[in-house]
Amino acid sequence: MRNKLNLKKDIYLKISNLSERPNVIIDDDHSLIGSDSTLDSMKLVELCIYLEDMASEIGFDFDWTSESAMSRSRSIFKTAGSLTIEFFEQMESK
Amino acid sequence: MIIVTGASKGIGKTICERLLSNNQAVIGLARDTSKLDFESYDCDVSSFKDIENTVRKIKKNSKSIQGLINAAGTASMNLALLTPSDISKKIIETNLLGTIYCCQLISPLMIREKNGVIINFSTIAVNLALKGESIYAASKAGVETFSKVLARELSSFNINVNCIAPGPIDTSLIKGVSKTEINNLISRQVIQKQFTKFDIADIVELLLNKKFKSISGEVLHIGGS
Repeated sequence: MRNKLNLKKDIYLKISNLSERPNVIIDDDHSLIGSDSTLDSMKLVELCIYLEDMASEIGFDFDWTSESAMSRSRSIFKTAGSLTIEFFEQMESK
Repeated sequence: MIIVTGASKGIGKTICERLLSNNQAVIGLARDTSKLDFESYDCDVSSFKDIENTVRKIKKNSKSIQGLINAAGTASMNLALLTPSDISKKIIETNLLGTIYCCQLISPLMIREKNGVIINFSTIAVNLALKGESIYAASKAGVETFSKVLARELSSFNINVNCIAPGPIDTSLIKGVSKTEINNLISRQVIQKQFTKFDIADIVELLLNKKFKSISGEVLHIGGS
């Protein structure tokens, strides 16, 4: 299994590739929603589909559409860091 | 695969039969699927949890989903001031929230494919503002607006979203409507004849056809309105 550091790198690279701002450096505090975000809402959906695929390769379901995930969506999608933490938490709990 | 809600009776059942006769693979959703002889799941569309569980099962089978047809619906003819709250709640939960929930939970399966068609159901009652159908028409007006916005949001994923708005089609939904009222409704259509479930299945086929990928965010009125 890939380690967390590599997974995090992949997630941040995907965010960078989806970003509307060229060559943007993604760090933990990079906003995913709101006026500072470099992703529109549709790119955010694409990112979630990517995380679903990544989770499936690892062997768990990344849940972003359930009632509980939707109700926490503002905190999950606040930053690249918070989304990555959520991904790891789901990975470890399943 | 095409997912059809309300697959056990009425318009939904007719659509399933048409698609299956065209060798199109169908997954039917209904509260009771015991009489369906094709892949189907018991699912109450007014329950977010039910749909979540159903989508999980569909995902497990790794099915590629190309379409969602939200045909599940309920109606009750009451004057606005005389509609019990439980009836209002049931109509909104099934017609409006059921459509929203299915779109929210099933469209990610099509986003993955970057291809798909969503067909929702409205009614002529929205345009005609018919007496006795206030809650039903309100729920369907919500479906129309939701569909138009969703069509914009999903267009970059090559997913088309449209509504079909039938007039008085002979199903259990209009069993309480008198012949006089039905004739009155038909007289207000552009084409003054009563259309059938099969005419709706024709429009569904058209919207699923790749040749008509330019149509999205529209409400198609059966018989014209």
